[in-house]
Amino acid sequence: MTDVQRRAFLKSSAVALGAAMLGVSPGMSAATPKARVLVVGGGFGGTIAAKYLTMADPLIRVTLIEKDPVFLSCAMSNEVLSGERDLKDLTFNYRGLARRGIAVVQDEIQEIDPVAHFIRGTSGNRYNYDKLILSPGVSFRWDKIDGLTQEVAERFPHAWKAGPQTLKLRRQLEGMEDGGVFIIAAPPNPFRCPPGPYERAAQVAHYFKQHKPKSKILILDAKDAFSKQGLFQAGWKQHYGDMIEWVSGAAGGSVEGIDPKTGTLIGPVEDFPGQVINPIPHQKAGALAELAGLTDASGWCPVDQRTFASTLHPDIHVIGDACIAGAMPKSGYAANSQAKVCAAAIAAAVSGMPTPEPSYVNTCYSLIAPGHGISVAGVYALADGRIVEVEGAGGVSPSDADARIRAVEARFAHDWFRNITADMFT
Amino acid sequence: MKDRTRPSLLALGLMASLTASAAGVRSPGMLANTCAGCHGTLGASAGEQMPSIAGMDNGYLFSVLSDYKTGLRRSTIMGRLMKGYSDQEIWAIAAFFAEQPWVSTDRVARADQIRVGREIHERQCESCHEDAGRAQDDDSPRMAGQWSGYLNYALETCRDIGRRCHPNKMGERVMALSDQEIEALARFYESEK
Repeated sequence: MTDVQRRAFLKSSAVALGAAMLGVSPGMSAATPKARVLVVGGGFGGTIAAKYLTMADPLIRVTLIEKDPVFLSCAMSNEVLSGERDLKDLTFNYRGLARRGIAVVQDEIQEIDPVAHFIRGTSGNRYNYDKLILSPGVSFRWDKIDGLTQEVAERFPHAWKAGPQTLKLRRQLEGMEDGGVFIIAAPPNPFRCPPGPYERAAQVAHYFKQHKPKSKILILDAKDAFSKQGLFQAGWKQHYGDMIEWVSGAAGGSVEGIDPKTGTLIGPVEDFPGQVINPIPHQKAGALAELAGLTDASGWCPVDQRTFASTLHPDIHVIGDACIAGAMPKSGYAANSQAKVCAAAIAAAVSGMPTPEPSYVNTCYSLIAPGHGISVAGVYALADGRIVEVEGAGGVSPSDADARIRAVEARFAHDWFRNITADMFT
Repeated sequence: MKDRTRPSLLALGLMASLTASAAGVRSPGMLANTCAGCHGTLGASAGEQMPSIAGMDNGYLFSVLSDYKTGLRRSTIMGRLMKGYSDQEIWAIAAFFAEQPWVSTDRVARADQIRVGREIHERQCESCHEDAGRAQDDDSPRMAGQWSGYLNYALETCRDIGRRCHPNKMGERVMALSDQEIEALARFYESEK
């Protein structure tokens, strides 16, 4: 098959899938959808935006474009590092969304024309839209830690996007001798999954405790405080004694460089050699957002926080980690919640209805050890155009909870994952 | 079965709140969809400890969610979440889920567990939870087809607090059950569809 033929074939199969969907609801015509909405990025945000748009209004033609054939969840991937979970359990396909009538297309978008309202993929296919939703996640700033390039990160994995990087880090931990030092460099705010580096330390400690009990874990932090800090530090102590040491930014933890030859992280005061090194790069909005000119000087995407429409290109909406969403953290649940607000706003707009008043939630669980879970919750509303936390609500698990409550929250953590992925993929 | 006037009054209250939706009022769907990340799309949970809430009695949901807000009902995370909503919003969330179709799990327990569970049900539970836990009203939730993980957790919590469980006659009855009996009872209800 030539490229042109393949292109034509892909195009016609996408159309056929769309037509099959349209056949489900009587009275609809494939030729005249109410609006054509493209969603690019099939993660925590994009899947939900696509699904809830079709639920809100079956007359909207929704196409989900994702570069990978399957989704690999970052959430719960720290359990792959501890050996508690297989990467298979974090892998999901898009068939459930296709069954809902969403045209799912595998393509990598390389061109966005916000004026002419089309995007183009590496397949050569051009996709026209009335509204475009981008959920591009994060990309890495390779200019912030001296010597840390994309190539060097192949040897010193960040494992901040689940997949081969996760497995590579796991293999390095398995290969490490007992008594070695594992170093995590935690990035400055804002970044994807604020409790992630600290849960990672706990999960790796769980593995070391069983297999390499003389080993140490060092967290070098660009920050002076972190998410669920009190709960993490108490949990580390309870399960792992003094195996985990956290060095704040003020105490010299802010990593400035890496020496790949010796496997050393370079700090402002001293250098830190380690047997396994996990530098998590500084972050910014996914490359696609930058490509489309949707980012500001901060590297993230300013949006109308009521609709997630870009303030730079109003027919493009940006959700999830890439957008600036007021008080909300960059988490999977936040992306899920933002996607629903965005879908409701678009469904209203294309029907000429007033923009709905938004409601947002975040819940996030971390696992310190098997049977020890902790959580943070936030309830959010829009005030003066900005997403703010509702006062008196939300917060973290109580510091004095007993073992039974911690066990209940550990089970809730797994149920959270089961349900949020079902919300995305079924 | 108890009379059904309360749910219809709830629906009237919801209509009143919807007509006032000009500024700052959030629709039931907008509020309720934020729950789906843990309770499943439209409240049909994918398991195991997270209960399905789709198709539950709206009076029951309203009182449970309100009790989370005030702290009368113990929780790990629900209290922290419910404090973020007005009573009227909690009312709207309850009514939204009550409108959704109930979805039973597809699990069926072992015959011996079902037998033990059914015996306990007939002896102690059926006077309020009629029709093998299928019947529901604003005091008793539907349990037939609910996830056993959740039922187990709810029964254990009730046993822990004894007479402070609501209603207290429920606490009195559950206090006498062993872990195995609670497990069997939960599996029995889960197996009923």
